[in-house]
Amino acid sequence: MFTRFEEYAASSMLGQPDSPPRLQGKFLFDKPWEREVFGLALSLSKAGYFEWEAFRQNLIESIAQWEDGYCEGQPRWDYYERFFVALKKTLVDAGVLSALEMAGIDAVFASAGA
Amino acid sequence: MGELFKYDDEREAASAARVRALEALLIEKGVLGSDSVDTVLGHFETIAGPFNGARIVARAWLDPAFKQLLIDDTPKAIASMNLPQGMDGAEGEHMAAVANGDGVHNLIICTLCSCYPWPVLGLPPYWYKDPVFRARGVREPRAVLREFGVPVAPETKVKVWDSSAQIRWFVVPERPAGTDDMSEDELAALITPEAMMGVALVPSPSSTSTSVA
Repeated sequence: MFTRFEEYAASSMLGQPDSPPRLQGKFLFDKPWEREVFGLALSLSKAGYFEWEAFRQNLIESIAQWEDGYCEGQPRWDYYERFFVALKKTLVDAGVLSALEMAGIDAVFASAGA
Repeated sequence: MGELFKYDDEREAASAARVRALEALLIEKGVLGSDSVDTVLGHFETIAGPFNGARIVARAWLDPAFKQLLIDDTPKAIASMNLPQGMDGAEGEHMAAVANGDGVHNLIICTLCSCYPWPVLGLPPYWYKDPVFRARGVREPRAVLREFGVPVAPETKVKVWDSSAQIRWFVVPERPAGTDDMSEDELAALITPEAMMGVALVPSPSSTSTSVA
């Protein structure tokens, strides 16, 4: 039915636990990095680095982890933060980046702020 | 409270920096072409989306012959417009338009799955797949419309169109008052996907500015 990967990918999430925020027919991105990370995931899966469904399962799991957390000390809900967590896991699972390389990404702000 | 917001700001900045770093690393390793992100998102931002539907409706408001063709033979009418290449692909087959007015209000639902005319309406809203919306849209469309803020006069007939794999409906809403001097682009800017599903009206520009003020 869907001939474009982009539409297949988006439609697979609609009405599901990983459904992305949207407004008036468009994706709702509050910040530029949210658009960037969404586009990264779509683009890498389209290029064949991982199955979109594998990413989606990681996203659903990442959302469930937030929901299962304790209220106290829980960071504010942020869909794209969960999305980013899922993308990083998917990239390591698929062998696109090593765990060491990903640890380097996670350390970026700490070192920049130091 | 100030501390709480400070924390959020820091988290935002960290996420933004890390996404940039990840993208840079992927480009450096040759995994990602530098324009790939814009290319895939461009599909939703410039090829298939509600901007197409808004242009079609604005044209129908300005050109009665086009409006008639749109109702009689929707694909032919759409093909006559210079819309983005590829917009008539996924889910765009067999689109059909119905017009509000003349004592009729149209509502689009899908009781079976989530058939939706993506090329003209973009991404469906989160409640479109909701079983309650789908069931109540059929059983009590007037009540559903009232909850959406669209009270339909008793003498106005409500028609409910059930999209399917064969036909994907969209609504040509009524042109609001106070728009006589507006261009096609200005009119298109007033038209929302919700109005093209029948769950909203297109407000006249003067009433919009009043409600905002």
